[in-house]
Parts: sequence; structure tokens; C-alpha cells
Amino acid sequence: MEAAAVIAVLRDFTDRVLGRGEAAITVPPFDGALKPNQLLEGAAVVAQLDAPDDLATNGRSVFVSDGPRLLHLDGSALNEVQRFDRTITALTCLPDGGFAVAFQGREICIQGGKHDGTRWSDAAGKPFCAVNALSPAPNGKLLATDGSATQPYDKWSHDLMGLGRTGRILELDCSTGAAREVAAGLSYAFGACSAGEEIWVCESWRHRLLRCGAGRSGAVLDRLPGYPSRITAAAGGGFWLSVFAARTQLVEFVLRETAFRKRMMAEIEPEYWIAPTLSSGRTFLEPMQGAHIKTMGILKPWAPPRSYGLVIRLSPEGLPRYSFHSRVDGKNHGVVAAVECGGNLFVLAKGSRRLLRLDIADAERRLLA
Amino acid sequence: MSTPILELRQATKKYAGVPAIDAVDFALMPAEIHALVGENGAGKSTLTKVMAGVVTLTSGQMLIEGKEVNPRTPSEARQLGVAMVFQENSLVPTMTVAQNLFLGQEHFFNRLRGIYIAAQQFLQSLNFDVAPTATVSLLGAAKKQMVEIARAVLHNAKVIIFDEPTASLTPEEKKYFYDLVLDLKKRGVSIIFISHALEEALQIADRITILRDGKHVVTDLKQNFDRARIVQAMVGRDLSQTLYGQRKATVRPAGRRVLSIQNLRMATMVKNNSLSIFAGQVTGIFGLVGAGRTETFKVVAGVIKRDFFHGGEVLFHDRPVRYLVPASAVRDGIVYVTEDRKIEGFFETMSIAQNLYMGLLAKLGGKRAILFNSEADRLAEKWITALNIRATGKDAKVVELSGGNQQKVVIAKSLVQEPELIIFDEPTRGVDVGAIAEIHQLINKLADEGKAIVVISSYLPEVMAISDRILVSRQGKVVEEYSALEATEEKIMYAAVH
Repeated sequence: MEAAAVIAVLRDFTDRVLGRGEAAITVPPFDGALKPNQLLEGAAVVAQLDAPDDLATNGRSVFVSDGPRLLHLDGSALNEVQRFDRTITALTCLPDGGFAVAFQGREICIQGGKHDGTRWSDAAGKPFCAVNALSPAPNGKLLATDGSATQPYDKWSHDLMGLGRTGRILELDCSTGAAREVAAGLSYAFGACSAGEEIWVCESWRHRLLRCGAGRSGAVLDRLPGYPSRITAAAGGGFWLSVFAARTQLVEFVLRETAFRKRMMAEIEPEYWIAPTLSSGRTFLEPMQGAHIKTMGILKPWAPPRSYGLVIRLSPEGLPRYSFHSRVDGKNHGVVAAVECGGNLFVLAKGSRRLLRLDIADAERRLLA
Repeated sequence: MSTPILELRQATKKYAGVPAIDAVDFALMPAEIHALVGENGAGKSTLTKVMAGVVTLTSGQMLIEGKEVNPRTPSEARQLGVAMVFQENSLVPTMTVAQNLFLGQEHFFNRLRGIYIAAQQFLQSLNFDVAPTATVSLLGAAKKQMVEIARAVLHNAKVIIFDEPTASLTPEEKKYFYDLVLDLKKRGVSIIFISHALEEALQIADRITILRDGKHVVTDLKQNFDRARIVQAMVGRDLSQTLYGQRKATVRPAGRRVLSIQNLRMATMVKNNSLSIFAGQVTGIFGLVGAGRTETFKVVAGVIKRDFFHGGEVLFHDRPVRYLVPASAVRDGIVYVTEDRKIEGFFETMSIAQNLYMGLLAKLGGKRAILFNSEADRLAEKWITALNIRATGKDAKVVELSGGNQQKVVIAKSLVQEPELIIFDEPTRGVDVGAIAEIHQLINKLADEGKAIVVISSYLPEVMAISDRILVSRQGKVVEEYSALEATEEKIMYAAVH
């Protein structure tokens, strides 16, 4: 056992020197089901919002959180359902007709339905800090992800650059008010949903979708080329997984360079960090987003994506089937939520503050064409 | 109009009855730079080998300055003024530049100093910056090429043929090479060069000839070509008339990701290559020579090693792997069916049964202390039946089999290892028509069983007929991906050359 430990240490050291194993600065390719297209970029813009954050559906209509406002999508018009005194950071519709809402990442509250007024602000003795996703679970329970115990919701990039590992997934019992920590120590938990007896949760900084509960644990989908966020059920079985930014070798490199990263965080404004963002291209001071190279007389775009738009359709087993993209030169970046309703997929591109709509059948047909 | 310095009329060369070039007419004018363009297997190399005396024509005529000639060896061709510079240069690496220049022309009393002085003067006259005393193995690719060119000029070559001259050169070296070619033209030397880089052909050639499937398609001035016309002429075959029939109407859905290659590097051949391979699908890899396809998958299978520092990652079932020998990859479930079966695929003087048993032993590693002939026989009987290997029996030597049946033995040797990922490199090269169909059926069956299949092929109709998903490789990395439903020959070729 000791010999194995020594070998592991030596291997870790040589990996760091040689740039191998965990120290290899590599990024998975966008290929197969993740082959880029422009379907998300070409999606219909339903509304331009002020500060949208989450989507929810009860199967008949779609609800949007926009700053402190809860909006209802009626046809193509958005009507205000309720205005709160704090910013909404997560939203979901409950089977009994109410809503579960997270305020500023620090409190979860049931609005309407038979458990109206039930509140939670801590679990397992620790207060909420960055509640970013809610999802109903069987038996009247509610799943919530608390991204970080140290950084508030709007400072997610600080958590990434600080190599945060304090995320957790919580199970809240609406009838008793109890709160249980299902898993902790996650590298930014962002989005969860029930999948049969299992709970699937996105671990954004480790680019994977995990399963927990029902005596099983492990990765459902690992080594994604982006940072996954919320996950919702699809009508025909399977799931919609939103991805709010794409990984790049440059960011992976910065994440391994501790001294550089600390100095960058101390001396540079967060919007100019070498870090993923929800949108980009606002100023020339940003790290490079797009460029071109000339090969064999042809000018070709070359694009390290600082921001990106991506929604992945997963099978019931968690295998990617196809995906919708807004590429580097697009606008519909920073996708944090996607819900299916009435044959349409509604997507929230937080980077451009747009609510988008895609006809799923039409998009599938165009993908196959 | 002046007489062509070199001319071929109705030139035909057949290998075992199959024409590599078929009734090709070709004319090279004095002081002309002539580009030969075509897909892999179009007959470019055969045509130039005929000119250089490496192979002789089956029928047709070759004329130099209007006189019929029939060079039977490269040295006869050199005496006629035709020299060829091969992609893999033919210099002796342990000798100096001067010694290589005068190789074969040594006098009985040869003074080394005299050779160096003569070489120095000659290289200076060509304006080549190469030290005559330098050992060839220490020179870079461009300088080696200069020595090859100098040697050709020293032999009073009136025609110099270059086979992929810039494949291994850096951009700066390429620029230098173009200047050299233009300088040779000014001196009255005619140049033929084979290139996959269309930009190159359009840049320095006076005329361009395009070959396809061993036949002459078109010769025209470069001004009359653009990239689209060249690509169209290169691939303009009617797919329905090929051996492989119609394109696919349906494709298999992808299963789990079996292999992920991330930012892989291997010397100058594989450059930051990334791709994924999925279970239950045939992934075709197309690219022109030098695209790094074979090297990428040889790294995966442990046949060659990736760069020592920052060589990227290879993940098999999401687990990083780095195989130092193929046996480790075989034990994990990765097999590589080689493109060069005669050298790497089998032991030709051993029987089918012994070859297949070797495959099993490679999988078992050192676990088997005693070998059983009965086990080898059972294995051979099973796979001879399963793959329909036509042989006199399991004890037939592999060397006695036809190309197609040899290939089936190589495949069977890999399949006995029960792999999850099978990499076929040029699986139907040098295989008869009937065996091609059988091998394709086998590949499809393996994919239907859920195996992850990679087919590397230089023949576009094969890639299109057999693949569910096509990756196009260029200059050491995958540059484009197509579903078999959306792919066309033009699209694939365009991605491969641009």
C-alpha cells in the first residue's frame, strides 16, 4: 500500500513535469452529437429581458425569472405574475401548482400550492450561499443545488478561479420542512433533476453530470467540452442539459497556474479575467475571443471561445443525442436554462439576456438534413 | 510549337492485370513547371516512376526530345537526363554532402579534398547554402532536398521529378524551395512535381495535369484552373459506377464515447489533433497522404509513441491511457489492423493457425505457459469458416494466400483478441473485388454488434460507402466532420485540401 502511494506521488510529480495525466492541458472536442451548428443562434427571440436567470414550466406554459420579477409567457407576451423584493436566482414549478423560488441564492421559498410559505435558509447546519437551481423530486420533495459555500451566486467566476469545491446538492421536504444534504464537496453544483430513483447533478467545474442516490454514484456523462448548468426533463424521455460556456486550453492552463491566477484575481477587474463568461465582445480589453489564420491562401476563423451557447439533448441513459449551438461569432451565449413546452424548446441565453424559442421537430429535421 | 522534352503516349502500366495508369498521354515542355495532381491511387506516382525508370511500361511509348526511349533502371533514366527526387530522400545519411553528390562517380584514386572543393564550387554555382563537409543525417529536410536537387543537376538532368517535395518543409523552407524551382526553370530544367497542396500547384506551376483512377482527365494552363475546378476534376467519378454502390440512406446512432483523443501531438505528423470515437458506429477517417491519420491511430494503439512532453491525452472509456507497446492496448481492447500487412500484419512463412494463435497469445500476455496445437487448430477452423478464408486448410502458409485472404487472416488475428475498438487502416488496399465486399460486410457486422470501428481509407468511395460518420484529416488534425447522410465527395475533398 505504501509503495502504491509513493508511486502515485511520483506519477503525479512526473505528470506535472511532463504535462501528462491530470496535468495535461487538453480539452475534449466538440464532435459527434456535439458537432457545432447554428441552430441556437438562429432561434426565434421571444423576448429581450433585463436580468433573466431561470426558466420553469408546468407543462402548459413557461415562466421566467427576470431580476426580482416572475413573468409568465402568454403566447409571445410576457406578463408579470409577481414581483419580489429580492433577485430570483432559481425557479421551478411544483406539481401541486405552486412555485419554488430561490432569492439571492440564500433562501428558498415555496410560493402558492399547498406548502405556500415554507422556507429554508440552511441545510446540514450550513446556510445557503449560492442556490442556483431547483427541481421537483418524487414524494413531494424538492432538489436544490447550492453552488458554493464561499462565493455568492453572481460571483461564480470567483469560485471557478478559486478552484471552489464547496458545492452541494440538497433534498428539501416540502411537507415537513426538513432539509438533507445528498452530496457535498462538489466543484460548483449547478442544476439537478430526478432520473428514476437517481438524482443527477451537474458539477460544473469538473465538466460532468453525476448520479447519486439509489445506492449508485459516479459519472453519467464525463469530460464535457463545456461547463454544464441546469438540467430539465424532455417530453419524449431524456433530458435537456444547458451549458453556459465552453472550455478552452487557455482557461485550463490558467486554472493550473496558481501564482498567475491569484495575481490576476488580485489586480485585474473580473470582466477582463482569462475566464469563461456569459457574453463577450464588449471591449477590446477582453482576452481574445476570435481571430483568424491564413493557411494555404485561405483565411480561416480561429476562435478560442470565451463565451458560447449550447444546449445538449440527452437520452434517458444520459448519452448526448444532438445539440444546439451558438458559436463564437454568435450572440445567444451563456445558456443557463432550457425547458420544453408544447413541442418547443425555450432557452434562456443569459449572456444576451434573451428568451429564445426553437421548434424541436423542425430543429431535428434541420439537423438531419 | 517546340518539341516536348518528355512525352508519354498511351502509357499503360498494369500490376497483376490491374492498370495503375491506363492510356495516359502526357507532354512536358522545355523549361516548364508541370504539376501532377490527383487523389491517392490516381496513378501520379506510377506515371513518374515510369519516367524515372523505376518501373517499365506495359504498353505505350515514352519519348525524350522526340526520340523513343525505354529506360529500365533509374540510372538509365538519369543518363537520358531524367532524375527523380523522392519524398523519402535517397541520400546516404552517414555520408557527407559531397560524398552523396559524387556517389557512383568515384574515380579509382579519389581525393576527398578534391571532392569537397568540387562540391563546394558546384553548390555555390547553384547558390545553395549547404556545407559539403556536413553529414547528411544532421541536415534539415530542406537542406536534404537541396542536396537531392544538386545531385540531379550534377547529373545533367534536363527533367527533375519531385514527389511531394514540400510535405516535410516548414513555410520558410517551402518559400526557399519555390525559389529553387524557379531558378532551375531559368536554367532550362523542366520540372514535374506531384503535390496534394492545390495552392502550391496554382502558385508555381505553368501547367497542371489531373489524373483520376489511372486515367488522364485534363491538362491545362494554371490560369484556366481554380480550386473548385481542380477538386471537381479530382473526384468527378460517378459514385454509382464504383464498386461500393450507393451512398448510405441511414446511419447507426452513436453509442457511448469509447475513445477520446484530445490535443494529441506526435512529431510533425500529428498536430493538436482531437476527435472522439463512439461505440456501435463506423467512423471513417479520410485524408490525403501526410494528413496524420495513420500516425494518430498508431499512437492510440501503442505502435508509435506520442511526444514526450505535452503530447496531449488519449482516453479510452474516459480513462487516460499511454501504451508503450501494442500488447498493452490489445489487452485493454484496442486493436490496430495495419495498412502494411506484409511487413506488420502476419508471419508469412507460418500457417494460418499459427498466425491466429499469435493473436490470441498477444491478448493473453504471459499467462499461457504451455501452448496447445489443438487450441490453435480449433481457433483457425472457427475463423476460417467465420471469415470465409479461402485456403487449402488451416495449415496453409499465409504467403500462399491471395491478398484478400491474407487481409482476412490479419483481421481474424485481431478479432480473436475480442477487441472493443478496432482500427482498420486501409482495410481493402491490394485486395480483390470479392474480398472487398466481404471485408465491408464484416466491418458492418462488427459495428452492428456494438464495437467501435475506425476505418482509415484514402479511397473516398470506400469511406462514403462504409462510414456512419466521416472525419476529414488535414495537416495532422481533424478539420471537418460529416454524417454519412450529409457528406459528398466534393465536400470531403474540399475539406481535405483546404
